[in-house]
Amino acid sequence: MGNVVYAILIAAGLVGLTAWLYKANHDTPVPAGCENLKPDCAGCGLTNCSLRRQEPKGEKENG
Amino acid sequence: MNLLTLFISALLVNNIILTHFIGMCPFMGVSTKLSSAIGMGIAVIFVIFGASVFSYALYYLVLVPLGLEYMKLITFILLIAAFVQFVEMFIKKTSPQLYKSLGIYLPLITTNCCVLYVALDNITKSYSIWETMVNSIAVPAGFMMVMVIFATIRQRLAGNDIPEAFQGNPIAFIIAAIMAIAFSAFAGLV
Repeated sequence: MGNVVYAILIAAGLVGLTAWLYKANHDTPVPAGCENLKPDCAGCGLTNCSLRRQEPKGEKENG
Repeated sequence: MNLLTLFISALLVNNIILTHFIGMCPFMGVSTKLSSAIGMGIAVIFVIFGASVFSYALYYLVLVPLGLEYMKLITFILLIAAFVQFVEMFIKKTSPQLYKSLGIYLPLITTNCCVLYVALDNITKSYSIWETMVNSIAVPAGFMMVMVIFATIRQRLAGNDIPEAFQGNPIAFIIAAIMAIAFSAFAGLV
């Protein structure tokens, strides 16, 4: 029984850590000069990635 | 196991892409330009090394003493996701130049299956901490090496007159198959 509690605590702790780091990462300002950093989607064929979805519609997809 | 043997084995003989077919998604997707392949390769080395060492520590210092070895899969997945977020935030704060070159690739690595593969492989094969560190450098180095070779070939192919039916991914898969055959010659090296 004790092990199950530890398992739940570890899983919950890791989920919390991931969520906290995700939020902290998104709240961290992007360094100067990197504001308009754009993925080089012309060199990538991953059409379903989150970065490509940020590209303006109508842009030709290569790959 | 001798560390040099392990390094050569992970780098060439048991190359993660050409013998295990793991990490094929970025291999096919991010290899049409050499600069993208290099950026992705460096980011993968960085993340795999860190995630593997942390996973190793979590497994042997927390999960094994508590008898929770069955939780390694879920904990490693969460640890990798958390680690990638931390690395991205750390690079944002400390090195804008590094962020400029790697930052765009870091979110993509969270879903790269070779990160999880290396973390699990180190545990499955009962590697020591030193073997874990060597393996965690050699495997992504092999990944990067093949990506760079492949990107170079694809860039050269772009200017060639390829039959329409073979353009794009079909010719890429044929090249990958030829590369896999070529790399199989390393089999007797160690």
